[in-house]
Amino acid sequence: MASSTPRKRTDEKPVNGFLTISTLSKAFASGSTWEDKDEFLDVIYWMRQVFGLVQGLIWGLLPLKGFFGLLLFFALNLGIVYLYYNSFQKIDDEEYGGASEILKEGLMTSFAAFLVTWIIIYSSLHTNS
Amino acid sequence: MLSDCLLIVFISICTALLGEGLTWLLVYRTEKYKKLKAEVEKQSKKLEKKKEGGESSDRSQKKKLERQEERLKNHNRDLSFVKMKSMFAIGFAFTALLSMFNSIFDGRVVAKMPFVPISLLQGISHRNLGGDDYSDCSFIFLYILCTMSIRQNVQKLLGLAPSRAASKQGGGLFATPGQLNTR
Repeated sequence: MASSTPRKRTDEKPVNGFLTISTLSKAFASGSTWEDKDEFLDVIYWMRQVFGLVQGLIWGLLPLKGFFGLLLFFALNLGIVYLYYNSFQKIDDEEYGGASEILKEGLMTSFAAFLVTWIIIYSSLHTNS
Repeated sequence: MLSDCLLIVFISICTALLGEGLTWLLVYRTEKYKKLKAEVEKQSKKLEKKKEGGESSDRSQKKKLERQEERLKNHNRDLSFVKMKSMFAIGFAFTALLSMFNSIFDGRVVAKMPFVPISLLQGISHRNLGGDDYSDCSFIFLYILCTMSIRQNVQKLLGLAPSRAASKQGGGLFATPGQLNTR
């Protein structure tokens, strides 16, 4: 099927969520230039997922409990992303349609991942059944 | 408890893959879908660029923009219709699967939550469980949480998630059922 369609010349990267090596090296370097907005938002997305999992792991091991834990998750997660794009990458959020567009990228998915790891680690380590 | 949790994570990974696989079989691989998706993506990007280009008071420009928006809306609707068919099939399959798992985990506390959910969510998190300890977690609550994170990540990894430009332009009224479920 793919061979029958003529090869189109595209100057854009294919639409998928993979982070390439060059994207990763850009992500770890301060003040990189991002021509493709989606590329940067993908970096934010995957960074969030990793943070969500790590936070869930830490919260479960400590263990943190109650709504304080939930609040701390949001404060830290939003804070890290804000610091990352504002101070580290020095991105102008107006280009992306305001700070909220960047801050909410992948937030719910990350929150769900955080809750799952937190609940699983907490209930397997700190409850006796 | 741990084995139950891991089993639920495994189940939700399987169902996410199964759902995406079925959708691929019924929708993603069809020529019609591919064509429509490419069209929607192209138009959304074009429209976004035009809108960013600044407001023009020119009347004909405005009309052109409106016409383009209308076309994009139509394409988005067609796309939703193409998806609809498989959404129904998957919906039925998953309802059956879920009720099976529900009966397996009936009345079982699969995990202990480190917090008490708000009363709005207690109906789900304490479903089919006895006792008054609302930090007990039911199968369905953990499953929903797992699916929320895993399904979207799987979609993104496989490159099947709708692009940002398209979901921004076409969101709202014509948001696809899949999008609503995962967000």
